[in-house]
Amino acid sequence: MSTSRNDILQGTLTLLVLKTLASNKRMHGYAITTHVQRVSADLLRVEEGSLYPALHRMEQQGWLRSEWGLTEKNREARFYSLTGLGRKQLALEEESWARFTEGVGRVLRYV
Amino acid sequence: MPWLRRLLNTFRPGRVQRDIDREISFHLAERADQLRSEGIGPEEANRRARLQFGNPVVQRERTWDVDIARAVDATMRNTRYAFRTLTRTPGFTVTVVLTLALGIGANTAVFSAIDTVLLRPLPFPDGDRLVELTQVREGSGETRIAPVRLQDWNRLNVTFDGIAGHYVDDIVDTRGELPERFRRAFVTRGFFDVLKVTPAIGRGFVASEHTVAQPIANIISDRRWRRLGADPLIVGRAVKMQYASIITIGVMPADFQFPASDVDMWSADDADAPWAQSRALTWLTGIGRLRQGVTLAQAETDLNRVQTYLASQYPDTDRDVRVRVTPLKDTVVGDSRASLWLLFGSVSVLLLIACTNIAALLLSRAANREQEISVRYSLGGSRRAVVAQLLTEAAVLATSGALVGFLLAVIASRAFRSLAPELPRVNEITVDGRILLYTIASTVIVALLCGLVPALRGARGVRPLRSSAHTSLSQRHSIQWLLVGVQVALSVTLLAGAGLLLRSVEALSRVDFGFDSSHVLTLHVSGTYGWETTDMHVQRINRVIDEVGALPGVESVAVTSTLPGVRDEQQLEFTLAEGRSDSAPRTFAETRVVSPAYFQTLRIPLLTGELCRRPTDAGGKTGVITETLVNRRFADLYLPDREVIGLHLSGGLDGLVKNGHLFGNPPPSRIVGIVGDARETGADRAPAPTVYTCFSAPTPAPWHLVRTNGDPLAMAETVRRKIHELEPQRSVYDVAPLEGRMGDAYAQNRVRTWLLTLFALTALALVCAGVYGTLSYAVGLRRREVALRLALGALRRSVVHQLTTTSIRIVGTASAIGLVLALVFTQSLSTMLYGVTPTDPATLGGVMLLVVAVALIAAFIPAARATFVQPMRALREE
Repeated sequence: MSTSRNDILQGTLTLLVLKTLASNKRMHGYAITTHVQRVSADLLRVEEGSLYPALHRMEQQGWLRSEWGLTEKNREARFYSLTGLGRKQLALEEESWARFTEGVGRVLRYV
Repeated sequence: MPWLRRLLNTFRPGRVQRDIDREISFHLAERADQLRSEGIGPEEANRRARLQFGNPVVQRERTWDVDIARAVDATMRNTRYAFRTLTRTPGFTVTVVLTLALGIGANTAVFSAIDTVLLRPLPFPDGDRLVELTQVREGSGETRIAPVRLQDWNRLNVTFDGIAGHYVDDIVDTRGELPERFRRAFVTRGFFDVLKVTPAIGRGFVASEHTVAQPIANIISDRRWRRLGADPLIVGRAVKMQYASIITIGVMPADFQFPASDVDMWSADDADAPWAQSRALTWLTGIGRLRQGVTLAQAETDLNRVQTYLASQYPDTDRDVRVRVTPLKDTVVGDSRASLWLLFGSVSVLLLIACTNIAALLLSRAANREQEISVRYSLGGSRRAVVAQLLTEAAVLATSGALVGFLLAVIASRAFRSLAPELPRVNEITVDGRILLYTIASTVIVALLCGLVPALRGARGVRPLRSSAHTSLSQRHSIQWLLVGVQVALSVTLLAGAGLLLRSVEALSRVDFGFDSSHVLTLHVSGTYGWETTDMHVQRINRVIDEVGALPGVESVAVTSTLPGVRDEQQLEFTLAEGRSDSAPRTFAETRVVSPAYFQTLRIPLLTGELCRRPTDAGGKTGVITETLVNRRFADLYLPDREVIGLHLSGGLDGLVKNGHLFGNPPPSRIVGIVGDARETGADRAPAPTVYTCFSAPTPAPWHLVRTNGDPLAMAETVRRKIHELEPQRSVYDVAPLEGRMGDAYAQNRVRTWLLTLFALTALALVCAGVYGTLSYAVGLRRREVALRLALGALRRSVVHQLTTTSIRIVGTASAIGLVLALVFTQSLSTMLYGVTPTDPATLGGVMLLVVAVALIAAFIPAARATFVQPMRALREE
């Protein structure tokens, strides 16, 4: 794994997945990785092994729901979509992320 | 609800696993596709896809952990593992499960009896507010109450919702082929309101039915209703029965069994009848329902206040009368309370011994699995996981034991009815949710008792894989000996209790009753108060005595108010017409009203004077009592220096007179003789001073005693037919040999003795197994040492001696501690003992010797066996 790409910070994966699913109705795990990678212009890369435990955990929390379906290539895949609870969670996580970056920014700007 | 889904997933692991696998392989396929589209060869693409994804097994497990309830899953895995390891040692497992099944089963069964009989309120709404009312009067054994007095109590008290009374009598239904006798309770107004019970069919009594003017209204039992054909239209029907026409107005629910389980009919009493107006004629037993929040003491104070007022109004009859209030449940439960707690205590001690035993077994097992546990630690297993694993094993054993035990308890609780039919409320005993809950709770306790110590111990030993434990004396050892000690001490306690009860039973069986109970048939011939005069009772009873007595095979016939040899006390006060010195003690004596042939029939010897005669033979009138006998004890105690024969006694007939039978005070009767002392009130009661009043109709249906030449039961049919011939309208019932009845009176005594003995012997067997097992294990660890010493020329005897020293010390100390416990335990038995004290040195010493001897034999066998190893083989083993 090249050092130019950032591994995703612990905890931000949830935010990224929620955001990704908020803009796309229904996605499988592989599509979520490629989406994050593409949208972040290859700056971010989802560690594939962490993705599925995270997806399953979010589903247990009731933020996501999943169903089995067929891809355009006619492969069976598990598609995830956002629930109402997930939308609320997204708002919470966005807010806390904003506070976090602002805090880190302030510390860095301090001379 | 994430936990719910996780829990569900835990129970469908296959599906969850499959889904994760599908999801991961889809991901890998997509990634490989993408890599291929970038121009990488298919094989290389697959490889890279997998590389990028990371170890799929780890990923799968991480995802899996998210999807399931981990604790539950671990428990299930532990359980499966426990089952596997336990089935690998079937002998051990079956032994432990059976031990626990018996322990938990017996415990649950006894608890179900305790729960029903002692803990649950009586089966009436707010049953804990029901009390029994009795009157107390010095010098009189009479506890029953005059109807008018009971009405006064009901009217004047401020602590009761209601007070009522009942009186049980026999009635005969002559409509069938043979006269059929059954039990009937006369009840006063408000009886069913006090109990808060209503008939299942029909209605309760109304006030007008408690009058002479109305025909007697009756409510019948469910049992009798079914016997009569379960006709729903029975209500309102009048039938002619005995001498009057009666009306059935209702049917009680099947579970209503008050005042006794054999009552089949409840009749409205006649409150305005002439005999019910007297304050001296007492026959009612009172019941009352306390007002909400009123205590027993308050109620008793209140009623005694009322009674003080009544005493001022009616000094002649009410002066000495006091009131006693007892919880109705206590009078129903009677003295079975102590027996039940005794059994529950011993069965719990037994379960504790079983647990200790199993804990020791599990300890040895854990020791044998040191290797396995060490491997788990080396592979990164946590201490918690190992403890959980070992505890699960104990839990599996306890649960299996409890399952079997619960089934045993269900069977046992059914058996109560046939094993202990005289146990009160025995028909109410069922195994229900409460009992199941109790079993579950005891299973948890048992699992912890059995498993905790071995699990903590077992998990402690983190040893290198190549264990050198076999040369050191591990500490596990001393814990095992401690467990053995506990078993020894507890079993000494149980055995001491059983030993004392057995000694009592044996002492009772050697008691000389002072009368001969063999070859005597007992029975009742039905009869009731009210319809006949006293003279008519006397005449018909005398006719039965004479005619049955003339049958071939019958030696003699007598009647008595009270069955001999059975606990039934009738202490009354007498006065001597000739007077006694002022300093002489008051003359209380047991009263027996018997027909003259009583002494011949029971072979009670006449010591001086002559036997009494029927009043008519003595020159008197039919229904008047003229002659009396006393026993030697009475003469020695009350009339030591006097010529007893020819003195006159009066009183004593209190109860008899007040039962509405004999009106007016009889004249003093003449003492005509002194008879030998007999244990009239039971084997465990020394003969009390007794007055025998000679009269053939103590009650309308007295006990008949028939002495036969041969087997009394063989004569039963002949006697019954003869009586039927004489009295076609009367029923003959309760036919049984006297010996059997006297045995039945001690059935509870016997049952508890045998059960306690059974428990104690089981405990002894467990101790045996415990000592044997522990010493076998300990000796096994020292095989090399033993072999070495033998090889160096040590004598077998001294090796055996050395190996058993610890056991001897432990068993000795433990049984001494057990003796101390036993002294505490046997104190609680003191009321159940006869002819032996709770500290009887012979019994306690014998028990200690027995336990020590058995334990030493159990210790000797493995020790001796160890010395027969071939030294070289044992030494080469390692």
